[in-house]
Amino acid sequence: MEIGALQSVVDFFLGLGASVLLPIILFILALVFGAKPGKALRSSLMFGVGFIGLNLVIGLLMNQIGPVSQGMVERFGLKLDIIDVGWPACASIAFGSKISTIIIPTAILLNLLLLFTRVTKTINIDIWNFWHFAFVGGLVQWATGNIWYGLISALIFSAAMLFMADWTGPAIQQTMGLPGISIPHGFTAAPVPFAIVINKIIDLIPGLRDIKGDPDTIKKRFGLMGEPLIMGFVIGLILAAVAYMGDGPWTGWLTKMLTVSVSLGAVMVLMPRMVSLLMEGLIPLSDAAREFLQKHAKGREIYIGLDSAILVGHPTAISTGLLMVPITLILAIILPGNRVIPFGDLAVLPFLVAIVIPIVKANLFRSVVISTVFMIPSIYIMNYLAEGTTAAALAADFAIPEGANLVTSICDGGNWIPALFLKVADNFWIGNIIIAAVVAALFILLKKKPAAMNKLAGYDAAKVD
Amino acid sequence: MVKKKILVSCGTAVATSTVVLRKIEEILAEKGMNPTLVQCKAAEVPSKLDGVDLIVTTTPVGDVGDIPVIQTLSFLTGIGIDADMEKIISYIKD
Repeated sequence: MEIGALQSVVDFFLGLGASVLLPIILFILALVFGAKPGKALRSSLMFGVGFIGLNLVIGLLMNQIGPVSQGMVERFGLKLDIIDVGWPACASIAFGSKISTIIIPTAILLNLLLLFTRVTKTINIDIWNFWHFAFVGGLVQWATGNIWYGLISALIFSAAMLFMADWTGPAIQQTMGLPGISIPHGFTAAPVPFAIVINKIIDLIPGLRDIKGDPDTIKKRFGLMGEPLIMGFVIGLILAAVAYMGDGPWTGWLTKMLTVSVSLGAVMVLMPRMVSLLMEGLIPLSDAAREFLQKHAKGREIYIGLDSAILVGHPTAISTGLLMVPITLILAIILPGNRVIPFGDLAVLPFLVAIVIPIVKANLFRSVVISTVFMIPSIYIMNYLAEGTTAAALAADFAIPEGANLVTSICDGGNWIPALFLKVADNFWIGNIIIAAVVAALFILLKKKPAAMNKLAGYDAAKVD
Repeated sequence: MVKKKILVSCGTAVATSTVVLRKIEEILAEKGMNPTLVQCKAAEVPSKLDGVDLIVTTTPVGDVGDIPVIQTLSFLTGIGIDADMEKIISYIKD
């Protein structure tokens, strides 16, 4: 082929956009892993559908909340112009990055390597949550302009999560009654160090250490707020009231307020539906990857690494999530210098404490204190990461109006682990080698002192499994 | 005959419950059964119980009265799917 013709083929593929290019790549990957062509075609198209659907929903959110954020600036000088679009948007931004399709096979191979060298016990079959790794990769690629640097950081992150899964596995298995399961999840790992330290501090304070809190009462009293539709509606009403209430004739501002609140309710309902289409598109690939990993792991003691979605039904997690909604909104308003409007991820705050529950022995008071302390740096991290997150969203063809608001998400945009990788991206090799060395040291520590480490994560050796 | 209804739940109504729902749907379709399958968050389960015959979940659900609950990870791990499918079928056949 002539150079010119080859160039136009490359240009053609680069010009396709994520909603077309990703289904093509997923189709090929699924076939390579042995899926049936008909099924692979349907699923990969479904992935594209989810992508397009999500783009529409983000458009709806930005159109409604953009003017609200402007109104808050004009009336009260509240400069809240970074919008928490929620983890679903972050997941598709991450999957839309050029790095996502490389990270899936390479992270699987790294997992197998670490399993065979007996470094880890976990096989991470939760391919879906590889988007957390892709998100880090996308940020580092944005900062350095080098896709391979992004891949290296993403792989180190994936290995770190295998360590977290090995470490917290026994406590999770014991507390939740889930034999053989561990959780290599990129967001729920982040609060664990906070939890261990704060829990120890509370143990030292007389009075405080005896407070428990009753998750069932909270669940009953605020249960309705746990429904995304109601949550979106109420938060929309509050934000729109701040921006519009009493401005001009009542017919005008009331119409605006109600439109915003119904639309934000719609966003909360529609967003997860769209993302579940993305998930559906990944099923053939993740089935094939699971079989591949399990086949190669035969005859060893393994933990099966799953999504923390299986933990958050715990009453303490749900109640903490409910209480953290107003707390997070208040923090966003009172913390000086903050520009983030928390919204999309308010629906998934139970994830904050998924792995923390064994550490605090399901104590609601402690899990709320830990989540609140965690949320403060998290809000500042969202401010710090917003520019990179927005750039990644634009690179993945998301319909964010030029020069309009920035986007973020509490789960990953407010997570110190991606922030750490972005922070060290300027001194890429030194930074990443240090992080990798720390992860290796932690693996060794877990091997040498399993009893002490498991106890830190909330495992109770006195209790018989 | 009234169509049976299965509620499938997980933490977010996005990731693990999608896998569970599609697998159940596929296996039941092979056996010629097509109940209504509805997906939701664990926290929403108590408000979605109308006409539900069975709940299949990957994470604990709260108080659901007399409705049978199957909490399982088999559809995610691939281990024990057959036994769970037998249970599911026993609840939804007349």
